[in-house]
Amino acid sequence: MSELSSHTGNITVPYTPPPETPKLSPREWVKENLFSSPFNSALTVVTTIILLAVFRGFLSFIFNPVRQWDSTATNMQLFMTRAYPDEQYIRVWFCVAVLLTLTGVSMAVWQAGSTVPVAGLGRKLLATGALLALLALLAPFSASATVQWLAAALAVAAIGEAIRRFAGRGESERTVSSLTVLVVTLAGLVTSLWVVPYGHHSYIAKRVPRVLAEPGTVALTTKLPWTIMLLIVVAAYFAGRLMRNRLPTNPTRATLLMLWLLAPFFLTYLVLRDPDFDMGHVLSTDLPIFAAYAVGGAVLLSWLTRPSTGETGRVVAVLILVAGFCTFLTPMRQVVRLDMLLLATFALAAPTFAGGPRARRRYIFGWLGVLGVMSWLITSINTPSTVTVPGGFFIGGFSITLFIAFIALVISFPLGIALALARTSSMPIFRQLATGFIEVVRGIPLITVLIFFSIMVPLFLPRGMHLGEVAAVAIGYVLFSSAYLAENVRGGLQSITRGQHEAAEAVGMTTAQKTVFIVLPQALRVSIPPLVGHCIGVFKETSLLAIIGVFDILYIGRIVIPGQTEFMGSTRENVLFVSVIYWIFAYQMSKASQRLERRTGLGER
Amino acid sequence: MTDTTAAEPTGGQTRDLSGARDMIVCEDVSKWYGDFQALDGVSATIKEQEVVVVLGPSGSGKSTWIRCINRLEIHQEGRIVVDDVELTNDLRNIEKVRSEVGMVFQQFNLFPHLNILDNVTLAPIWVRKKPRAEAEAQGMALLERVGIPEQAQKYPGQLSGGQQQRVAIARALAMEPRIMLFDEPTSALDPEMIKEVLDVMKTLALSGMTMMVVTHEMGFAKEVADRLIFMEGGQIVEQNTTELFFSNPTEERTKLFLSQIL
Repeated sequence: MSELSSHTGNITVPYTPPPETPKLSPREWVKENLFSSPFNSALTVVTTIILLAVFRGFLSFIFNPVRQWDSTATNMQLFMTRAYPDEQYIRVWFCVAVLLTLTGVSMAVWQAGSTVPVAGLGRKLLATGALLALLALLAPFSASATVQWLAAALAVAAIGEAIRRFAGRGESERTVSSLTVLVVTLAGLVTSLWVVPYGHHSYIAKRVPRVLAEPGTVALTTKLPWTIMLLIVVAAYFAGRLMRNRLPTNPTRATLLMLWLLAPFFLTYLVLRDPDFDMGHVLSTDLPIFAAYAVGGAVLLSWLTRPSTGETGRVVAVLILVAGFCTFLTPMRQVVRLDMLLLATFALAAPTFAGGPRARRRYIFGWLGVLGVMSWLITSINTPSTVTVPGGFFIGGFSITLFIAFIALVISFPLGIALALARTSSMPIFRQLATGFIEVVRGIPLITVLIFFSIMVPLFLPRGMHLGEVAAVAIGYVLFSSAYLAENVRGGLQSITRGQHEAAEAVGMTTAQKTVFIVLPQALRVSIPPLVGHCIGVFKETSLLAIIGVFDILYIGRIVIPGQTEFMGSTRENVLFVSVIYWIFAYQMSKASQRLERRTGLGER
Repeated sequence: MTDTTAAEPTGGQTRDLSGARDMIVCEDVSKWYGDFQALDGVSATIKEQEVVVVLGPSGSGKSTWIRCINRLEIHQEGRIVVDDVELTNDLRNIEKVRSEVGMVFQQFNLFPHLNILDNVTLAPIWVRKKPRAEAEAQGMALLERVGIPEQAQKYPGQLSGGQQQRVAIARALAMEPRIMLFDEPTSALDPEMIKEVLDVMKTLALSGMTMMVVTHEMGFAKEVADRLIFMEGGQIVEQNTTELFFSNPTEERTKLFLSQIL
C-alpha cells in the first residue's frame, strides 16, 4: 500500500476505522442464529433431537460392556506391521524415528503452527467438559460410572475456566503457540501409556503368561519407545529452528523435500527389508555398471549442455533413446536398460533446461544423484531379504497401506502429468495413445486391474527378474491412479489462458520450457483441490488390497483379529478403529491441502 | 512497396532513415480465419530504428498483422522476413525471430505465479542461457529504467495496470530484442495510467529501437512516430510520414477516420 500511495503524492488521508461489529451475548447469538423464525426454531429442535438420538446410540455401542476393545489395543502391533518379527522390531522404531525427525525439522523450517489465545483454549476446554458431562448423562452407564464420568467432566471444565480466568487478567492478551498445545497433548498421551493399563497389559497379565516370561521385546512395551519418539520430535523441531535461522531457506526446503521423497524407499528397502547384498557381485557387476554410466553420462551431458552444441545434441539424444529401446531386444541386465532410458531422458532435456555454467554443473550433479538412487533401488529390489516374515511380504497392516499409497502417488504424479500433457498436445500419436490409455483404464474397475496385475505381471517379466506380488499390484495402482490424475491435471491445463501461452512464446521459449515454467505451475496450482481429493481416494482405495489376499489394515481388522480365539467376533470394534485411523490420515491430507492453497494464494492472485 | 517521402524531415522524430537497412519486410501477406479474410495482401517495410504506428478501426486486421510478425498467428500467403530471417514452419527460425522480437500485449500477460523480477529474468536465463546473477542485475536495471525497481519482489496481481504494462515492457526488453511490437499496449488501462506507459515507450523510441505500435493514442503517434499506416478490412489503405498523414491524407477513408478520432 505504501508504495502505491507514494505515487499519488504525499497527501495523508486521515484513517477512519470501520464501525465495530457489535459483539452478541450468547443469548442473543442463539436467538439470532437458531431461533430467528418459527421455521428455524422447529428445525433447531428437530435436529437437536435427532443428533442426541444418534449420539446416544453411538455411545451405547462404544460403552457397551460386551465390546471387546482390548482386542484392538492388544493387536496394535498386528494392525501396524502385521507379523514383522519381534527381534527385528527395533528397525520399525528406527523408521518411525526417521520420519518423526523429518516431521519435526519440516515443521520448524516451514514455520508450521500458529499462536492461539490462551483464553480461547480455556473456553475450548470448558466446552469439552460440558460435552463430557452431557455424554455422561446420556450414555447408558451404571450409576457409579456416571458419577465418575461426571467428576472427570467437571474437572476438565474447571481447568478450562481456571485457564480462561488466568488469561483474562492483565491488559495484553496472552497467547501460546499451537505447537506447544500439541506437544503438551502428546506428552499427556505418552504419560498415559505409563500410567493407564491399556488393553495389552491386562490381556498379557490375564491370558498369556508366555509373553510375560520374556517381557523385554521392544514391540510389546510401547511406552518407552513412544517417550523417546516424543523427545525426538521435540529435539528435531528445535534443530529445525536452528537450521531455519542459520541456513538459506530455499536450499534447505528443497533438501527436506528430497529427503521426504527418498525416505520411504530408503526405509522400506534398506531398513525394513534389509537386502542381503552379495558384496562380491555388487562390486564386480553393479558398481562397474554404475561407474560407467556415471562417467559416460556426465561427459555426454556436459557436452550436450554447451550452448554451442545446438541441434546435433538433440539428434544424439534421440539416438540414445533408440539405443535404450534396443537394449530390450537383447538379453541384458535390467539395470543397464533402465539406466539407458534414464540417460536418454536427461539427454533430451539437457539443451532445454540447462542454462549458465552453474546450472550446467547442477544438471550433471542431478544426473549423478538420480542415477545413484535408481541403481541402488533396482539392486535392492532384486536382492533377497534377510528379514523373514511368515506369510510373504515383509510388511503388512497399516505400513503396507502407507507404502502402496506413497508409491502409487509418487510414481503416478509424473506419469499423470505426462499423460495430461500428451492428451492436450498437438502431436496426434501421443494424443491418441494417451486418450486411449485414459479411457481404457477409467472404464475398468480398480479391483479388476489389481487382480489382473497380481496374476499377469509376473508372466510378462523378463527371465531372472522377480517382482513380489505386492510390487505387481503397486504397478496396477500406479496405472489406475495416473489415468485419473491425468484428467484432473488436464482440467488445470485448460484453465491457462491463451495469453499466457502467447507471452511465453513471444519471449522465445520452446514448448518444453513454456510447459515447465509457465503452464504447469499454474495448472497444478489450480488443480490442488481435485488432486488432493485424488490422493485421499488412492489412500483409501488401498483397502482393496484385501481382495487379492494382501494383509492390509482393513483385512486384519475385519478377518484376522475376529478370528483369534480370544477375540471371536470382534469385527465391529476393529473395523470402527480402522475407519478412525483412515479418517485421521485423510483429514490431515485435507488440512494440508488447505494450507497449500493458502500458501500458493489460490483464488487470490 | 509504397515508399514514402522519408527524405523530408517530418513527423515527431525528424530524421532520415532512407539509408537504414530493412528490419521487417512483408510482401502480400494474407490470412484467413475460416472463411473470413483477416489480412488481404499486406505489404510494408520497416527500417531499422523506425517507429511505425498502425491505425485503423477495430477488426481491420492490425493486431492480426502485428501478431503474424512473431508468428503468434500463421500467415497463409505471402512472405514475412524479420531481420533477414524468413518466417516459415521451420521451428528454429521461429525461435530465432521470437528471441529477436519483443512483444507487449494489450492484457499485459505477465506470469502471475512469478514475482516481478522472475518475470523479467526467466527468458534470459533459460532462452539466452545467461547466468542468474547477470540476468538479475540486468533485470533490476530494466526495472529501474521503467521506473519500478521497488516492486521487484511483488507479484503481478499486486501491481496496478500501468505498472504491470511497464513490467511487460521490461520483460520484453530483457531479451535484448532488435524490434519491439506493441499490440494496443494502453487499451486496457485507466486514463491516468496511460501516460506512464507512453512515457516509457517514448524513451524507448528515442533510444533508437525499431518499433511497431498498434494504438489509438494519436498524441503518441504525432509525437513519436516516423510513419503511420492506416488499415481497414485487412488491407493497408494509406501509409505516410506522420506530418503528411495528419496534414494531407489522400484517401477518403483516412480522412473520415481522422475526422472521427481527432
